[in-house]
Amino acid sequence: MLRIHYSLESELKGGIADIDAPQELSVQVRNLVLKTAKRKKVGHGEIIAEHPSQSGGAFHAAASGTVRDLDYHHLVITCDESGEAVDPADVASMAPGKELLRTLQGLGIDIAVLSSHAEMLVINGMNPEPGVSVAEQLLADEMKTLEAGLEMARTLIEPKQVVLAVADTKEYQLPGASMKAVKPKYPHSLDALVVKAVTGEEFPANTKVMNVMDLYALGKVVQTGKPITETVMTIDGHNYRVPIGTTIRHLLSCLDMKVSSGDTVVLGGSFRGEAVYSLDEGVRKGDYAMFVIPSDTFPRVEDVTCINCGECVLNCPARIQPNLISRYAEYEKFELAEEHGLHSCFECGLCAFSCTMRRPILQYIRFAKDQLRASGQGKQS
Amino acid sequence: MTPPIIKAMSDIATRLTVSPAPHWRCGRTLNSMMRAHLLALIPALVAGIYMYGLSAAATVGLAGSVAVLTEVFCLKLQKREIDVDNFTALYAGILFAFLLPATAPWWVTVVGAIITITLGRTVFGGFGCNPVCASLIGWAFCRLSWPAAMDIDLNLANFVINEPLFQLQKFGVDTLSQFNYTDLFLGKQLGGLGASQVAALTVGGGFLLIRKWIRWYIPVSFLLGVGAVATLFWAIDPGAYAPPLFHILAGSTMFGALFLATDTASSPVGKLPQFLFGLIAGAMVVIIRVYGSYPDGVPFALMLTNLLSPLLDRVRPKPFGGR
Ligand code: SF4
Ligand code: SF4
Repeated sequence: MLRIHYSLESELKGGIADIDAPQELSVQVRNLVLKTAKRKKVGHGEIIAEHPSQSGGAFHAAASGTVRDLDYHHLVITCDESGEAVDPADVASMAPGKELLRTLQGLGIDIAVLSSHAEMLVINGMNPEPGVSVAEQLLADEMKTLEAGLEMARTLIEPKQVVLAVADTKEYQLPGASMKAVKPKYPHSLDALVVKAVTGEEFPANTKVMNVMDLYALGKVVQTGKPITETVMTIDGHNYRVPIGTTIRHLLSCLDMKVSSGDTVVLGGSFRGEAVYSLDEGVRKGDYAMFVIPSDTFPRVEDVTCINCGECVLNCPARIQPNLISRYAEYEKFELAEEHGLHSCFECGLCAFSCTMRRPILQYIRFAKDQLRASGQGKQS
Repeated sequence: MTPPIIKAMSDIATRLTVSPAPHWRCGRTLNSMMRAHLLALIPALVAGIYMYGLSAAATVGLAGSVAVLTEVFCLKLQKREIDVDNFTALYAGILFAFLLPATAPWWVTVVGAIITITLGRTVFGGFGCNPVCASLIGWAFCRLSWPAAMDIDLNLANFVINEPLFQLQKFGVDTLSQFNYTDLFLGKQLGGLGASQVAALTVGGGFLLIRKWIRWYIPVSFLLGVGAVATLFWAIDPGAYAPPLFHILAGSTMFGALFLATDTASSPVGKLPQFLFGLIAGAMVVIIRVYGSYPDGVPFALMLTNLLSPLLDRVRPKPFGGR
């Protein structure tokens, strides 16, 4: 009756496969600073938008082409054969400092974690969510790139100690990093819990965490000097290298998958990802999986009252009371939600996963966090 | 803030469902939960009918249907969606019936079932919002209004066996030798028509526990509470107080532990609060049985402890990262 899919173990089926080059790229540009305009030509790797924050990485065209359509939300590029590309930057020979960080940011890396020192660096090598095997695939196949990424992270963060956390069923080593075995069961793969497994502390100061997907992206940039224009994602148990902006329609047709009306298509993980509303939506930077969930697989989410069954509380790894917090959020009492530990939540989704009434608890929690952030009262993002 | 209107993308041939994360769910629903609970009551119902005959079946049927009809009526009045197909009203009605003597007059059954739904649930906002287990409200109302009609020993006087807790209260420990534990466990005791079928209830409750529809914290701590306090009294004077095992097997202790105390809305949500809740309720059961004027302390003990739930839920661990 209660089917639980918590396992993070994965069986790798072959290597990382490529996807046929898409004809069209669709990039979400909502809230970004645009760097191109309609009907302009872009080269492969050219910046199309920048992140408004201090540290967020820039966004690049994953192929050469022309901007066909541009609105508040989307930027659509029609790809061409010109193959025009930007020149690689020589990242590897740069000395650590502001300039290196700016260059990395310009190449699409989020530099928040890299821009200050820390004593301990934890590399999260766990598969992020059930049904996703990207992390393990990268550890198995892309060691060279990961090492390059770690090298760069080391120069910038200058940690005294580096620990790689991996599933206790697997043996992977990164040079110079000690290993920590973690039970491969969701939610143990979440950064906060991995850090706790390694250090024994909750949200410790002076510790930074990076996952292998980010490390891989960093390594790739260091090795090639080219911006990030692709992401590795698990689809139906296999891993693919997908250009950012590839439409879901294209992915589905390449992989011969069928979607019918009423189904849910998820970018990102099964627990934390986002359901897309159109097949024309493109893959985003950092997406590590795509799921197609037929409409009759799970009972519908319903916005109904809580019956106080307690399942969400008993399943919450952050030891907070999602039933209370979601109700506070529902009635816009965000400060009360905050008082009751809203910011301890690391959005694992287990509360909503196990809710008897199928309340959208995680949605309420994210809503409360967003509202607090927007009103500038949030102490922490 | 009004969100900007985003133009629908060209494709409308395939309309996807957009829903919030998580996209996988454990598959529990209220409906499946209530169906499991109803299923769990069947052994005790069968045992009750076997023991008391068709009048037991009639009482359960009447209480169940009146509860459902009342719920429909109340939802109609409130202009809410009629969702009795989630079985919660039926379940509350049957739980109420389980506490009745099998031969309870029909009008008591009807009034009790109506009270269960109206005063037990609707006035507080419906299912899931009741601070006290709804069926117990119905029971208490009837018990206080028509003591004679609700009195187990009086109603079932034509049976050869007796109500153990009544015997204990009125005639003292010495009379308890007429009961042996196996008989008590097998339900050979007078009591609520379903509430004293200890073995059958254990089977049903065990099913709920194994299927994880209820957690073990409340039932186990409830029995621990009963056992501990009973042992205390018994140790003080075995001549004046009944042994702990008697308290666990007699009356509706098991029914309370597995079905009444685990009522979702009126019990606490956290692990430690649930455990404390069970302990306190269990302890109260024995205290009421020893000092109270009603033979079986389970319903009143639970109602009182239900009121403590919000307080108990304040016993919570420090959130992750402990600020
Ligand atoms: S998402 Fe829910 S279960 Fe997970 S940490 Fe947050 S409140 Fe707890
Ligand atoms: S799991 Fe859902 S119904 Fe149960 S207490 Fe939590 S929010 Fe309420």
